[in-house]
Amino acid sequence: MLWVLRRIGISVALAWLVATIVFMTLHMVPGDPAELLLSTGGTMPDPATVAELRERLGLERPLLNQYGAFLMGLARGDLGVSLIDEYPVLDEIALRLPRTLELILAGTLIAVAVALPAGTYAALHRGGLFDRIASGVAALLLAVPVFVVGTLLVLVLAQMLRVMPAGGYVPFAEDPPRHLTLLALPAIAIAKGLSAVLFRMTRASVLDSLSRDYVRTARAKGLTARRVLVRHVVRNALTPVLTVLGLHMGTLLGGTVLVEYVFNWPGLSTPLLRAVEARDYPMVVGIVLTISGLFLLINLIMDLLYAALDPRVRAS
Amino acid sequence: MSAALLEARDLSKTFPGKGMFRKSRPVQAVRGINMSIARGEAVGVVGESGSGKSTLGRLMLGLMPPTEGSVAVEGRPLSDFTGAEWRRLRRRLQIVFQDPYGSLDPRRRVGSQIADGIRLHGRGDAAKQVAALLGRVGLEPAHAERFPHEFSGGQRQRIGIARALSTAPDFLVADEPVSALDVSIQAQVIQLLAELRHDLGLAMLFISHDLPVVATLCDRVTVMYLGRVMEEGPARPIFNRPVHPYTRALLSATPRLDPARRAGRILLKGDPPSPADPPSGCVFRTRCQHAVEACAQTVPALAPFGDDGRRVACIRAGEIG
Amino acid sequence: MKRLIIPGTLVALILLAALAAPFLGLPDPVRQDIAHRLAGPLEGSPLGRDEFGRDVLSRLVWGARTSLGVAFASALIAGIIGTAFGLIGGWFRGLGELLTVRSMDVILCFPPVLLALLVVTLMGPGAGTLILVLSVLYLPGFARVTYAEVLSARSHDYVEAVRALGAPAPRILLRTVLPNVAGPVLVQLSLAVASAVVLESGLSFLGLGVVPPAPSWGLMIRGARATMEQAPMLLFWPCAVLTLTILAMNLLCDALRDAVDPRTAGTRSRLRAVDRLLPGLLPMAKPAPGTVLSVRGLTVEIDTPRGPIRPVQDVSFDVGAGETLAIVGESGSGKSVSATALMGLLPPVARVAAGEAWLDGTELLRLPEEQMRRLRGGPMAMVFQDPMSSLNPVHRAGDQVAEAILAHRRVPRAEAWKQAEALFRHVGIADPERRLRAFPHEMSGGMKQRVMIAMALANRPKLLICDEPTTALDVTVQAQILDLLAELRRETGTAIVFITHSLGVVAEIADRVAVMYAGQVVEQGSVAEVFHNPLHPYTRALLAAVPEGDAPPAGIPGIVPPPHAFPEGCRFAPRCRHAEPRCSAGPLALEEAEPGRDVRCVRWRELARRGAEVPA
Repeated sequence: MLWVLRRIGISVALAWLVATIVFMTLHMVPGDPAELLLSTGGTMPDPATVAELRERLGLERPLLNQYGAFLMGLARGDLGVSLIDEYPVLDEIALRLPRTLELILAGTLIAVAVALPAGTYAALHRGGLFDRIASGVAALLLAVPVFVVGTLLVLVLAQMLRVMPAGGYVPFAEDPPRHLTLLALPAIAIAKGLSAVLFRMTRASVLDSLSRDYVRTARAKGLTARRVLVRHVVRNALTPVLTVLGLHMGTLLGGTVLVEYVFNWPGLSTPLLRAVEARDYPMVVGIVLTISGLFLLINLIMDLLYAALDPRVRAS
Repeated sequence: MSAALLEARDLSKTFPGKGMFRKSRPVQAVRGINMSIARGEAVGVVGESGSGKSTLGRLMLGLMPPTEGSVAVEGRPLSDFTGAEWRRLRRRLQIVFQDPYGSLDPRRRVGSQIADGIRLHGRGDAAKQVAALLGRVGLEPAHAERFPHEFSGGQRQRIGIARALSTAPDFLVADEPVSALDVSIQAQVIQLLAELRHDLGLAMLFISHDLPVVATLCDRVTVMYLGRVMEEGPARPIFNRPVHPYTRALLSATPRLDPARRAGRILLKGDPPSPADPPSGCVFRTRCQHAVEACAQTVPALAPFGDDGRRVACIRAGEIG
Repeated sequence: MKRLIIPGTLVALILLAALAAPFLGLPDPVRQDIAHRLAGPLEGSPLGRDEFGRDVLSRLVWGARTSLGVAFASALIAGIIGTAFGLIGGWFRGLGELLTVRSMDVILCFPPVLLALLVVTLMGPGAGTLILVLSVLYLPGFARVTYAEVLSARSHDYVEAVRALGAPAPRILLRTVLPNVAGPVLVQLSLAVASAVVLESGLSFLGLGVVPPAPSWGLMIRGARATMEQAPMLLFWPCAVLTLTILAMNLLCDALRDAVDPRTAGTRSRLRAVDRLLPGLLPMAKPAPGTVLSVRGLTVEIDTPRGPIRPVQDVSFDVGAGETLAIVGESGSGKSVSATALMGLLPPVARVAAGEAWLDGTELLRLPEEQMRRLRGGPMAMVFQDPMSSLNPVHRAGDQVAEAILAHRRVPRAEAWKQAEALFRHVGIADPERRLRAFPHEMSGGMKQRVMIAMALANRPKLLICDEPTTALDVTVQAQILDLLAELRRETGTAIVFITHSLGVVAEIADRVAVMYAGQVVEQGSVAEVFHNPLHPYTRALLAAVPEGDAPPAGIPGIVPPPHAFPEGCRFAPRCRHAEPRCSAGPLALEEAEPGRDVRCVRWRELARRGAEVPA
């Protein structure tokens, strides 16, 4: 239990570090952030506008004071308002985060459901036809960038064959079948990279586990092949797979931005990209912090799961 | 005391606990060791895992700083040597390792690794000396051009010895140099070390878990348990008639070709305690059949025993010895 | 190395095309020509024109220049700084480590694309921003890899040896540590380049990377998306080139990693169809009554890239009830392989090529797997060398023992646990109720070996095979385990085959001994006879090599030959001081010197008559 509390403590500390770095990135870049934010190309921004923005961002106050206000705001859940339409950043995130989460969850489920059985089977029949084909497919999937897959899916399935919608979103409550149809392609696009990575890791991990002394012991006990496989091979092979899953969540979250863009999925990426282009700094910071926080949270969950699977972690 | 080549005084080494937020307990690897090694003398250090014998070897070479106490070379503490003097000192103190696979750089030819010691100390024509050193340890001069993976375990151990000899040292720490080798090869390397000692007048600290090997090769022996010395003195008498209950148990547990030569089996209870949590008083008392209440009170001093020059750290040595 | 060639060539070609872009005589990649908007293949434009009438081929080649330029620049910057950080952090530890390596880890808290977007917000899009962001993103990777490698190099004795020789720190870092770190850093570099290409194209695709009209693959895909209904090929080309580049780079990374890391470079040997000899070709005498295990002519063959080898050849021995037979030999003698073959646990590349083994009237070596499974852990059980790795770290000790019971007997789970508790008590584990619930890592080595023994005894085996069960333990713990085994044998009458390299352990525990050398039994008999009157020169030499605290032991010159170089005749002849030409004439048979005493030596009679060097 102590271990869990300590691990949560570390996550909170990391979240604070992330927030601090985001704050510092803005304030430590050379030059005046307000001027930087307003300048487009080589033109000098209007001094009056700069002054006004400085005022709105609170840049006139001492740095430490600003930092304190920033952290206090975070603690209260106040992420400020958009520079463009003065819409509260938190409200925007609250509206769109569930949609992004749904996409991530669906993608991860697909990836896990495909990759774990396929990886285990390929390892058990190493060098066989399935292993060679699946390994080849995994290498190819790893190489195609997620936005290329997305774009090609749209081109082939929506534009050419017209069997799937090109993109969009309908709330689940309004039209459940339509919602799921629209979810399918982006979820598959998200699952493609992760399933390739998980497949490779599962295969390697099961192979490694197969060669361990304790598997030999299990066989020497006279256990049936199925029992050796389930209790001793796969059970032990899961932990490294879980670690990889946690590590790749970062790439996955980044990939989500691209996928949402390609399929017009109204998650967090739409306001994020709009804000980046318009240099709507509070909105960018709010969304970056939210997704980074999500990333930390996922890794925390992975670590706790890991501890549940491997008693040695709990002890150290 | 100036006769000693190397002398350790109250030597202790504590490794800090690991972990950033909740530190594990510090490990007291070596505690309060006094030891002196004369020129050309071979001292054996015997102990099981966790006894601190390897740490003692590194401390004697100055490869890690002690937490307390000091090691002196010809009366001068190692901590006095700095800069160029330190580098000159390194020439005199060398080491041979246990693992014949990890102790050679896999990416460099063995000749170049042996030549390091000659070049670093500007000791003349490297190529010629490498050839001579290889011959000295029973290999061919042509072997200098090969890589470590082309050799067997025993041959690698010979190369490791040649590398240690490349600086013409006066003192050699041999850290379990034969433990990883097969019996027939082990005997070859023991023979080689015995010859080198004899021919070069090397002082040696021979670390081992095998009492018979130490009795074969060394003048004196130090028996360690959980970082402390249990018994110390001339090797043969201790091997033939151990006094400390731990030495006795260790010897009785060592399998012999002729079980009749081994005195009645003393089976120790349980496992050795963790060096992070050693018992109070005598560290051996938890497994000792002679332990009494007083053993838990004070750490027994290493006191002279009998007339063969040995010292024993046991308050009941007089009764049971 | 062969795997490096194809992806290596491909990557080299792509690089070459990117570098040579200005000299290839391609049209200007940014010159617009609205008249030929979305044109198909034209003269001078084999791949057609894009939505502004720009030449597609030219844009692809120049795009490679942009993408790869950004990728290599950022990977190199990150590589140089990160490696330096890792070296400093790993070597100096302490504060240096905190500043160089630990601080980098914070970057890993951000999803990469998000960090990039944050910086783009501040600095605006462009190649410079991309290089900056990407190098920051890959810094921790390099720092971590180098740091881990430096730490592992530091723990190697050869680095300690160079330190002991008196080499100064910079020299050690550059000459000894860096070359050993170079491989993984190179792999990391190729990974970073490949990943940078992906990120660059992704950001450009979002319109936040390279600024138009500069050519970039990501931008080309972005542009072609708008017109994909009219000109799908416009979308296809940059997608194909991008994917191909990344695929080639990934394959190169994999091949590099395998080349650098010897562990993953597994020699994958092809399995041949099972070729088993017909049983009963050579009629053999029925095992004597009271014999639990009788092995005759056991030969194991392993396929290797250099052809099949036979690490075990013509091994025969018997073990009676309540008897302990020790099989003693040095590494490479084939003693463990023999035991593994008897248990039916040979790895897939190895197979029994000849021989028979009878356990209580059942022939083991050709038994179907299901019947073999019922024997394993039942009538025949095995204890392995390394108790640390032989227990599954994720299951409780009690579960692992109960599992052995449940595999062979239909008893309720609770009953199995109860029996496991009795077994724990039996093998001398104090506080069995608590230890049953313990995980392996919570136990000492000696205790784990007791658990292994309890597991082996779970179904009262007739035969117990112990493969170096005490080698990984300290001597005082070894004595406890040997004592336990001797006591169990007395109580249960189990026959024990005890494999060891230590002649002293043989003397302690065994009734009879079989001495193995280079895959063959060279001598066997009762321990007292073999040790006091060895007949084979190898046995004699081996006994003389054991340090007994007296004179320095005598070594045996030379080394044990590897299985692919076993000598034709007597395998010990090249190291034997009594060898004659006829020793190497042809294969030798195991000869019965007297009842219960076998030897494999052509000269044993004359040597015995001469009474050659019998050790005291």
